[in-house]
Amino acid sequence: MSMVFAPCLTETTAPTTHAQPAWSPYDNNGGTCVAIAGEDYCVIAADTRMSTGFSILIRNYSKIHQITEKSVLASSGFQADIRALQKNLDARHQIYQHQHNKQMSCPAMAQLLSNTLYYKRFFPYYAFNVLGGLDNEGRGCVYSYDAVGSYERSGYSSQGTGMQLIMPVLDNQLKSASPLVLPLQKSTTPLSEFEAVDLVKDTFASAAERDIYTGDAVEIVIINREGVRRELMDLKRD
Amino acid sequence: MEIDEHIGCAMSGLTADARTLVEHGRVETQNHRFSYNEPMSVESTTQALCDLALRFGEGDEESMSRPFGVSLLIAGHDDNGPCLYHTDPSGTFWQCNAKAIGSGSEGADTALQEHYDLNMTLEEAETLALSTLKQVMEEKVTSSNVDIAKVAPTYHLYTPQEVEAVIQRL
Repeated sequence: MSMVFAPCLTETTAPTTHAQPAWSPYDNNGGTCVAIAGEDYCVIAADTRMSTGFSILIRNYSKIHQITEKSVLASSGFQADIRALQKNLDARHQIYQHQHNKQMSCPAMAQLLSNTLYYKRFFPYYAFNVLGGLDNEGRGCVYSYDAVGSYERSGYSSQGTGMQLIMPVLDNQLKSASPLVLPLQKSTTPLSEFEAVDLVKDTFASAAERDIYTGDAVEIVIINREGVRRELMDLKRD
Repeated sequence: MEIDEHIGCAMSGLTADARTLVEHGRVETQNHRFSYNEPMSVESTTQALCDLALRFGEGDEESMSRPFGVSLLIAGHDDNGPCLYHTDPSGTFWQCNAKAIGSGSEGADTALQEHYDLNMTLEEAETLALSTLKQVMEEKVTSSNVDIAKVAPTYHLYTPQEVEAVIQRL
């Protein structure tokens, strides 16, 4: 006696399409962020254009936010969510300073950012973040994130609408061994601070050519042992 | 008992109450590692335990109607180097270089004051701790009625053989 346990394949249900929502809680304000880590410095840059759809809202909006003495967050995506995220991290940092009598280190802030993003796993912050700064030993560090908090430390990274244009160029110029290769290689680049800033300016100028959401100006923040310094370079405004 | 890899504690008083405090300390240090990917500083851990002692427990359900009847010696190693804190049921804590708690603590504290030196080696500290304990203990010190633990820089509870080695040096 043979028993057939095949599930019944004769019935098919017509595929139902989900009703398109009339309103989305998210919007993409565009823009690109880049960060490069060096031996004793970190360069974090983002363009200053904020757009919606095919229009420009603001030509000089800063996407960069310094959270602690040694960490700087650059985010592209939905700027309202990003602003809320920045305020959240600022508040958490204040509490940490009160409780532990010291500033948060960059690796600690990296973990906190990851946890904060995952906390809203089922209604995410529409933010694509790059965290840059100096670690406990004074070496540059760059952490890049997805919208729900998955993160990795690396020597350089970019996020945002211009990421696809910029990342291959950075890979070509800066590629260090994969973080999955053992023994673990140091994830910093042998570039000097001046060369890194120059590279960032070149990549943004290139991205602004073809990405409509990137342009107007690029804000560059450099952290090293002396402190934090800002530079602003104009980009194409079309 | 171990609170985290880099923090240990000793207790005196109603030791049953101590277990609640140590458990709280363990949870707080692990939460800190989860949130910030770094070890919690010894002072912050001590503060967290004292916060609990002050409230007689946490929340509406679990809080007690009396203070925790236990003093703790929290020993740990963090960015500031090795450090020792002493807590009491009021929720106050003090940082110390050397401290004794318990029924024989007055005599032991005096002995420690006389012989303690900031530049002692680990072996000298072991000998001092055990000889001070010997002075205030009625029974003879053996490897089965004495416990030793160190945080240098991670927590380690001595095996009976290691305790025996220190007793031999007394």
